[in-house]
Amino acid sequence: MPFSKYLDSMRGDCRSLVEELGKSFDYVSILGTDVRSTAYRADKNMSVIRDSEGECGFVIKMHSGRSFYEYSCGDIRGDKKEFANKILESIKLSGPLTGRQIETAEVSDVPMKKDFVRETDFADFSDETLLDFCKEVSKALCEKDEKVLNGIGIVSPYSVSKLFITKNRELSQCYGWANAYALVIYNDGKMVEARHTEGSDSLAEVMEKTRASIDEVIDLARHLVKATPIKPGVYDVITDSSITGLIAHEAFGHGVEMDQFVKDRALAKYFVGKYVASPITNMHDGAAATHSVASYFFDDDGVLAHDTQIIKDGVLVAGLSDLASATQLGTVPTGNGRRDNFSRKAYSRMTNTFFSPGTDKLEDMIASIKHGYMLFETNNGMEDPKNWQIQCTAEYGIEIVDGKLTENYVSPVVMSGSVPELLKSISMISDKFEVIGAGHCGKGYKEWVRVSDGGPNLKVRVKLG
Amino acid sequence: MSDIKSILEKSEGLSGYRVTESATKSYELFFVHKKLETVRSTDTVASDVTVYVEHDGSVGDATFHLYRSMTDEDIAAKIREATARARLVFNKPYELAPEGTLEAKLPTDLDKFAPEELGRMIADAVFTADTIPGGSINALEIFIYKTDSRVINSRGVDKKQTVNRVMIEAIPTFTDEKQSVELYEDYRFTKFEPEKITAEISAKLKQAADRVKAEKLPEGRTINVVLLPEEIESLIWELAWDCNYQTIYSHANLHTAGDDLQHGDGDKLTITMKSVVEGSERASFFDDDGATLKDTTVIKDGIVAESFGSIRFGQYLGVEDPSGALGCIRVEPGTLTDAKLQSEPYIECVSMSGIQVDPYNDYIGGEIRLAYLHDGNKVVPLTGISMSAKLSEVLGSLELHEKTEVRGAYDGPVKLLMKNVTVL
Repeated sequence: MPFSKYLDSMRGDCRSLVEELGKSFDYVSILGTDVRSTAYRADKNMSVIRDSEGECGFVIKMHSGRSFYEYSCGDIRGDKKEFANKILESIKLSGPLTGRQIETAEVSDVPMKKDFVRETDFADFSDETLLDFCKEVSKALCEKDEKVLNGIGIVSPYSVSKLFITKNRELSQCYGWANAYALVIYNDGKMVEARHTEGSDSLAEVMEKTRASIDEVIDLARHLVKATPIKPGVYDVITDSSITGLIAHEAFGHGVEMDQFVKDRALAKYFVGKYVASPITNMHDGAAATHSVASYFFDDDGVLAHDTQIIKDGVLVAGLSDLASATQLGTVPTGNGRRDNFSRKAYSRMTNTFFSPGTDKLEDMIASIKHGYMLFETNNGMEDPKNWQIQCTAEYGIEIVDGKLTENYVSPVVMSGSVPELLKSISMISDKFEVIGAGHCGKGYKEWVRVSDGGPNLKVRVKLG
Repeated sequence: MSDIKSILEKSEGLSGYRVTESATKSYELFFVHKKLETVRSTDTVASDVTVYVEHDGSVGDATFHLYRSMTDEDIAAKIREATARARLVFNKPYELAPEGTLEAKLPTDLDKFAPEELGRMIADAVFTADTIPGGSINALEIFIYKTDSRVINSRGVDKKQTVNRVMIEAIPTFTDEKQSVELYEDYRFTKFEPEKITAEISAKLKQAADRVKAEKLPEGRTINVVLLPEEIESLIWELAWDCNYQTIYSHANLHTAGDDLQHGDGDKLTITMKSVVEGSERASFFDDDGATLKDTTVIKDGIVAESFGSIRFGQYLGVEDPSGALGCIRVEPGTLTDAKLQSEPYIECVSMSGIQVDPYNDYIGGEIRLAYLHDGNKVVPLTGISMSAKLSEVLGSLELHEKTEVRGAYDGPVKLLMKNVTVL
């Protein structure tokens, strides 16, 4: 997968515009994006090929020790002086607001010139092959059981090219990721949906694993139709990697996004250096922390990818920052500045967020529970970093009785409660480790970016409803 | 748009096309406390081209994004690629939206102001509310948008619409000597009314102050729970989606026309999908197909009535005059009055982290960040609680307030009472 020819052809225009705007600002950066994604989908009735979440455009960031300015547009070709004037006109402030601007240190512009590439196998697969794969998955699901109302196969490769240019810095990156899904709508007196999700930078791998998941999806559907609501209460719980990741993400990940520190919106700001979790707990985030959907080489502020340890042996040690928040806090940005797309602002965002593995065996963890549940598959979650409340929904749980998993499924299952109580209740951590690279995360209720999360199995005590 | 039309019309192998375009200019202000952290401006165009190819008794289609950076040669190559892709797709034939032209503008006064002045006035209106000792607006984001949308197709559709809108995201916060708490405010409007903005933020600040004093329920109980428009809208959308043509076509619907959703003696729901709700930023005179929209009552007196959705899936289901993809929702008011509400203890949810509605599992619930327990003359703020109930039981016994309001895409009762909900 080569770097975008279009962005490559725009290097000179970017440099010229940086130079022109440099007459008005101390720091000017341009991020160019060319992201291509195609979704292939088939069910028993129809099939689809369409571009999905692509983007192609530029965002120009300007700073001179006070407020940050940004201008987003689809094209920067043409006379640069004229264009710079248009930008300056469009970001002008109403007079009274000039007195309200923040004052910060200068943004550092460390020289670097580098092109990063991570190869994919996307070019090996034609449109026909990918759509046929979806049709094959759909057909296989539908033929497994007469109670299947519809079977859906989806595959979506996603290719990213980004170019970042300042006066001293010129970076480019090119990488890809692919997701595939097998999803069934099943009716046996009650209608349910069951699904399997895969993510990798190898299309061959996600397709192979998705094909192999068909029986598992049907089996899950057969169990879910019999699932009952859970009796609300506080239980001992074992999490699968997906739910572990959901806890990492919602319980603490959002709480250490350091733009929230600047706004006094995160309680975590006051807990750096203090115990926030059980002493056996370690947690990381970073585009360079593991290999998954958010493993880029540099962020949307042109900061190189990091591996940030957030919790070390139960103690909060670090947060995640973008350029603007780090500049205001006087810290070094951690490579977590991410945008929904070029037309949106960069915020401090999670990337790949996970708990580190422990030493316990999953079977011992299950055996340690007299009565509780093992929870599976993220449905959704919502953070509350200021007040450390969480709400996470698992697709389903399996009851554990006398140290054994039963055939009793409950669905859906909502975990809620206090973050420190939940994290301090972690009593066992398995030696298994998986990060699931198929998620999207919003900031508040908008600004969606691709993220992964995961980790080992955890044993926790939590309120389920 | 004229360039892409001419390239499409010269392209070989197509039986039809559709182009959608949204050209958006925005002016955005981001405050940290009362300090201005970032000023943004955008000038972007999002455009999608769909090509249709009749082949082997079927219709195939493929959609690609059109970017400003593309040359005519790039576009021609994308059309050729999409045409080849469409030939791989074997779908049931359907007609594109028929010829029609329209040029519409949603009512607004936002275009009377220069964006930077409007931004300042909105900020002033928000910060004017910041008068409660201990209260503050820790973060404020103001987005002023003007979007010109257009749809054309090969059958002669050419429809344009201009929408001016503002979105405010604010974080009202209250701090005392023991703790600091916040709530989330997402306020959208198409008409600048500074006193309404100030009132909205003031109310949220007062709620944040109450959250500091809020307590947990000493023990779980079964009690009536009141939802407000944001959560009512989520619940109503879940019910409405079951009546969407695409949901039905993909066999994902739980109910069919004639089904009674409300077994009980509560108020009966009448839900109408609408194209335009006055004051809603989601109002639209046409959909992405360029189809003329027809308001459709999907649930009448608690009984599933008509379906709604895009003309494509409407045709697949044999609907004679499909509604088009309607984006607003109207719920008729009910019998609930404030006086009647006070007759029994109830909990009013004013801030939830997100309501969960799962019709497949007959479930409704969620975590409540701030609620008020009304018990006789006593009003107690609650936090850190969650609620859950069977959706079917809630639908059977719910009561709808007699007054309505517009919020987001929702126009309906200001309160919805759910009976006998488990709150922990």
